[in-house]
Amino acid sequence: MTAVVTGGAVVTATLDRLVRERATGALHGRAGALYLADGALVHAESPVVPDVGWRLTASGRLSRESWEEAVTEGGPDHRAGSLLVERGRLSRGELELCHLSALFDAAYFVLSPLDGSQRAPDRFLRGARHWFGPVRPVPVAAVRREVRRRRGLLERAWPCPELDVSPVVPVPAPAPAPRAVRRSPSGAVLAAADGVRTPTQIAGALGRSAFATLLDVRRLAAAGLVRTPAPGTPPPRRARPAAPAARVPADAPEIFLLQRIRDALEAL
Amino acid sequence: MANTETALKDAMNSIDGALGVALVDYGSGMALGTLGGSASLDLNVAAAANTDVVRAKLRAMEMLNLQDSIEDILITLGTQYHLIRLLTGRGGNGLFLYLVLDSKRANLAMARHQLRRIESELEV
Repeated sequence: MTAVVTGGAVVTATLDRLVRERATGALHGRAGALYLADGALVHAESPVVPDVGWRLTASGRLSRESWEEAVTEGGPDHRAGSLLVERGRLSRGELELCHLSALFDAAYFVLSPLDGSQRAPDRFLRGARHWFGPVRPVPVAAVRREVRRRRGLLERAWPCPELDVSPVVPVPAPAPAPRAVRRSPSGAVLAAADGVRTPTQIAGALGRSAFATLLDVRRLAAAGLVRTPAPGTPPPRRARPAAPAARVPADAPEIFLLQRIRDALEAL
Repeated sequence: MANTETALKDAMNSIDGALGVALVDYGSGMALGTLGGSASLDLNVAAAANTDVVRAKLRAMEMLNLQDSIEDILITLGTQYHLIRLLTGRGGNGLFLYLVLDSKRANLAMARHQLRRIESELEV
């Protein structure tokens, strides 16, 4: 746990400095990336969080073709998001709401990594801009406040962090289960729990918020519907969800590729 | 084709008796936008707390095996109405509009009608 706390302190100091400098660029590490413009957060991505494109296409709101068209044509000029609005695929409001949800979702996992061995982001690529383009910049202080609030929500729901990284195992119902309608989001999560996938893998499969899925799983465990792992259970080796990364346009700045190159160079 | 800020302004300006409005993500309980409110009405706190209201009602419907969806939820206080409208748009999954009204000045039927209109304008 100490490593996480130390990493958190480092990222806090770095973020404070970048905000003061009104910096533009990407603060990145293994847990993901935070994109700043003039010291405000404009985009966030994490390998465990479904991105905007995946959310919009998984829900059926956008066809895969419309999304790829916007990424291919708008990506190189850092305006894939605005292009969706100009082409009449989304209203400005829908774009903002979907993007903000994804931004806070990813920022949570970047600033509060699931795996203690993941380093908090510590490298800043000055001047980097995201191909999606700015939608609604968020003050870094507001993001931090929200991350703290979310940590508290998880703690209050069911204080068992092991649940976040373990396969979700439904507890068999004692009586024949009623044919539940599963209208609620936690119902959908429970229906997707197969004893193999972790909460973030379920979020990836459903194309919904990874944080909301963690919270649903904690609540399901509190209600006795999902098995609670023994404290200190080592998390199984986590496979990266198959979802987002593939939809990045070929010529966009690719943070994760840059990281892999850096790691390879360092290993020489 | 409104953006969220214009939608919230529209709600505050066009709905009689509106004291505050918020657009809330109910997966996390976070307000994605708020307008109005006061020292005695913290919309961010209200957003998080009312997420529990929505969740409880969805769960109740699940237990009753109701094949239906919530359009809105009305809570009548002594001096206020609280109106929660779930956004049904295909991209609006997991969001609700939360509106606080002064019950002396509000026309409930008009307010519900206006919220429905504002929701539709948020979409294409």
